[in-house]
Amino acid sequence: MFIYSIIVATLTSLLFLTQSLKKEAMDVFIEAPELIVQRMSAGRHDLIPVGYAEKILSIPGVSSVEPRYWGYYYDNLTGGNYTLIARNIDALHMVKGTLPKGPGECAIGKGVADVRLTDLNDVLFLSINPQQKVSLKVVGIFTADSAILTNDLVVMDKNDLVNFFALPKDMATDLIVHVSNASEVPTIAMKIRRDYPDTRPITRSEIVRTYENVFNWRGGMALTMFIGPLLAFAIFAWDKATGMSAGERQEIGILKAIGWETTDVLKLKFWEGMAISLTSFLTGSILAYIHVFYFGAALFAPVLKGWSVLFPPFNPIPYIDLYQIFVIFFLTVIPYLASTIIPSWKAAVTDPDTVMRS
Amino acid sequence: MAYPTPTTITAITAPSAIIAVEGVSKIFNAGEADEMRALDGVTLSVAKGSMAVLKGPSGSGKTTILGIIGCMTRPTSGKVMVNGKDVAKLPEHFLTDIRRRTFGFIFQHFNLIKGITVKENIMLPLYPTSIPIHEMKERADAILESLNIYQKRNYHVEKLSGGEKQRVSIARALINNPEIILADEPTSHLDTKLSEDLMDRLSRLNGEGKTIVIATHDPLVYDKPYVNRIIEMRDGKVIGT
Amino acid sequence: MIKSKIFFSFIAIEIIVIAFLYTDANHTIAARNAEVQSKRELVRKLSLTDFAVFTEARYTRHPSQADTFSAFQDFPSSMDHFPAGSIVGPQRGNN
Ligand SMILES: Nc1ncnc2c1ncn2[C@@H]1O[C@H](COP(=O)(O)OP(=O)(O)OP(=O)(O)O)[C@@H](O)[C@H]1O
Ligand SMILES: [Mg+2]
Repeated sequence: MFIYSIIVATLTSLLFLTQSLKKEAMDVFIEAPELIVQRMSAGRHDLIPVGYAEKILSIPGVSSVEPRYWGYYYDNLTGGNYTLIARNIDALHMVKGTLPKGPGECAIGKGVADVRLTDLNDVLFLSINPQQKVSLKVVGIFTADSAILTNDLVVMDKNDLVNFFALPKDMATDLIVHVSNASEVPTIAMKIRRDYPDTRPITRSEIVRTYENVFNWRGGMALTMFIGPLLAFAIFAWDKATGMSAGERQEIGILKAIGWETTDVLKLKFWEGMAISLTSFLTGSILAYIHVFYFGAALFAPVLKGWSVLFPPFNPIPYIDLYQIFVIFFLTVIPYLASTIIPSWKAAVTDPDTVMRS
Repeated sequence: MAYPTPTTITAITAPSAIIAVEGVSKIFNAGEADEMRALDGVTLSVAKGSMAVLKGPSGSGKTTILGIIGCMTRPTSGKVMVNGKDVAKLPEHFLTDIRRRTFGFIFQHFNLIKGITVKENIMLPLYPTSIPIHEMKERADAILESLNIYQKRNYHVEKLSGGEKQRVSIARALINNPEIILADEPTSHLDTKLSEDLMDRLSRLNGEGKTIVIATHDPLVYDKPYVNRIIEMRDGKVIGT
Repeated sequence: MIKSKIFFSFIAIEIIVIAFLYTDANHTIAARNAEVQSKRELVRKLSLTDFAVFTEARYTRHPSQADTFSAFQDFPSSMDHFPAGSIVGPQRGNN
């Protein structure tokens, strides 16, 4: 019963975590750019000429086009990968301090601040080689509760970023296309692809769908991690189904000998199994809730973290999907019931005279 | 798989016989290397209200015939009449019903269920019936009182002494108010005093009109004056009545 | 039957705990609504597209931005170099 609860707790923890992340992704990425245009070259994402913007802007329905400058920085010092982005914006709620107002300033994610032991007003030094390096004053640090979005970010001035990465003139990482009427996005994406066959437009709905898939309980993350506990459960149930103890067999024999029918025995075993699986299921769910929503899925973090140096602590919001809980219920209670009832049934249909010898 | 049919069935079933067994054979593991003919054409009858003893050495088939009479297993061939009904061919459902209504069993190893209390053990035969729970409890209390183990009613059975276990198993056999009590070697785990005690109780029950069949090879049982019928068995056959 | 009493009280306790957790969940969701709003602002203003969870590789850091061949992006045999690669997997091409 203890094992049973633990297995349910693991499965349910996974569900809670993925469901919560998925819901959060759905909630926040509805504000993601409606359309992003990447350029593809040799099968890879490549820099895009800012000049593409003009023609895109002339497509009816496009209200504005904005180049995005961003890239990755591998930090030799800490072994972490940072995401560097250039944005010039005024203020944000989830930042302690301010955002960079010009060259020489930056705002960094909590994860970067922690691994670099950097605080507000310290200097963050980044260097790719002796020619490409930059020193930035930290004017803002993103708050810990935004870590899931900002943990590895370094937000800096556009010119700093262009110089640091030595981006060729008039090239950007990708383009954001603002569309006045959301329903026109697919048409516009199609037109962009027609005008520039070397581009790949990514719509907001594709971003959202990506997260739907990544955190879908039947795929990606969940499936990979589901298999372990599910297998454990199968072994557990199988063990139970095949290893009915002599004592249990004897008990069934006695009950039959004193006038119980096979159905009476099965009823008893059904309720017994129901009681055990119900308590285990409830206990497991409670443990899962506590694990995921009070302790940030602490037991999963090392597995999910992999080789990442920067890994945000989870602080998931308890969005609970009853449907998924029912799925877990049926995935665990039904096999358990079957694994108790089937061997009991086998024992109960044999003649009870065996109890007279032993 | 040719079973030698019993040559002739000689016993004439007396009208007062509550149990009549005619030409019953039981073959275990038929057709296999370890085929075992446990009963070979057994014919016997027990009159209503009598106290009968099945006597015989170990392996003579006493337990087997008791199991067949008690509808716990079917004979390979032959006829088994209980209260005038041929039970050998009845479907499972009816056998259970007869077991519950007609028989009370006292097993050699008590066969009480561990982990539950004395009282729960005693009430077990009543659960499949439609008797309301409060009546079940009243009946159980009454029987516990009469057997002098009322004070132990909330003990788990594994904490009881042998004699107490025996009384619990008698109580369980009696709770259905059965017509026939079948006891298999009921004294084998009891000392002399407890055995005497048990026989006293059984003879009292016999006095109340219950038919009692005891399988044993204990002289303390079959030498009792109130045993009014002894059936001797050997090698799966009845050798004397 | 004492056992059944224990069982039912246990179930009752668990149901109470679950009811408590359920209200707790609803409270938390309400209480953290402001946080969600701020995150939306963050996504909008910084034009973010992905969670900063798996920072090992491009296709795990920005699964929605990774190209069709992301699994092979740096070197063919690097496919499942990162544990998160088994979790995030390459996205199907959308065009
Ligand atoms: N299930 C079985 N399979 C095979 N042989 C069996 C089985 N049950 C009983 N036997 C055999 O049938 C024979 C009669 O057994 P039974 O138990 O009826 O004897 P018994 O007279 O009750 O002996 P005891 O006094 O030792 O209890 C024995 O030889 C026993 O080994
Ligand atoms: Mg025997």
